[in-house]
Amino acid sequence: MGIRDIIEGKKQWRAHVARIKNLPPDYQIVYHEIQRYVFKVGPVDLLDGPLLTELVDFFEEGVAAGKGVLQITGPDVAAFVDGLLQDIPTYADVYQESLTKKKHGL
Amino acid sequence: MTFWETITGSDMTREWNAFETRAAALPNDYRAAWEEIKTALMSYGDFTGRNLTPIFDSALGLLEESAADGQTIYQVVGDDVVGFSAALAGGEGARNYRDKWRAQLNANVAKKLNKLGG
Amino acid sequence: MDGLTEMLKGTLEGCVLEIIGAEETYGYAVTRRLNELGFTDVVEGTVYTILLRLEKNALVQVTKRPSEQGPPRKFYALNDAGRAELTTFWAKWEFMTSRIDKLKEGAR
Repeated sequence: MGIRDIIEGKKQWRAHVARIKNLPPDYQIVYHEIQRYVFKVGPVDLLDGPLLTELVDFFEEGVAAGKGVLQITGPDVAAFVDGLLQDIPTYADVYQESLTKKKHGL
Repeated sequence: MTFWETITGSDMTREWNAFETRAAALPNDYRAAWEEIKTALMSYGDFTGRNLTPIFDSALGLLEESAADGQTIYQVVGDDVVGFSAALAGGEGARNYRDKWRAQLNANVAKKLNKLGG
Repeated sequence: MDGLTEMLKGTLEGCVLEIIGAEETYGYAVTRRLNELGFTDVVEGTVYTILLRLEKNALVQVTKRPSEQGPPRKFYALNDAGRAELTTFWAKWEFMTSRIDKLKEGAR
């Protein structure tokens, strides 16, 4: 299923978007920038996996504790996100691996 | 046979048609970028198209999201579509590009939070 | 102390395991503990990514509990695999610090 189908079609995704809209403005800004970055990096289970949902869980906890968004992510948001993505292969990884396999005749 | 059928085999045509339908809904400058991304990714040569499908899909998804978000195409792909595409496919220079995305992420956050505060 | 991020990278996971190993706890409490120890650069986000990884690698048991304020909190406790991992961490740590100390003494 394509990313767009999932984004537009799934009730789950709409619920997710609704949760983001309930966050304070600073959290929304950081969430959207993170999402944009993650879309580019392209982890394979982005929309089926828990990554973005859990991120909102984490953000909601920060909001409940009365903290600003950078207080919980740290000032280097990219480093924070890379920590989240660390163990997840990207589409690019999968593609590169398929090339390597082909080269070695596997 | 269309170009894409030649490249991908006809069993994949439906998937590609769906991509093209989605691309047709993009703003003009985005559509132009999509064409460039396709060409750039094709230059990888050694593929049947099958293993690149998810990469095309996520690239298109990125364009759709960003267009809906009101970003300019330049904000999304920058001035180097070939480099951008290489990064999408994890090819040479992907690491540099990811660094660029990283810097972009932090810069955007700083800029927008600043605007919010002031 | 500031500027420890790079040096801490490989060991922070062990520190988090140790804290969770002492008692079941949640992300913010782990962060606070590390801050109190003097690792002032560590933010919740850092701990959060580590906790997610521990969960994914099945080293912890996670329980959601309601909190006084806001959404339910995830509490983490070590399982057997987590305890084994912690033991391994301390063994590696002993090895590394003893060698590095030796190096330092030899240099004097």
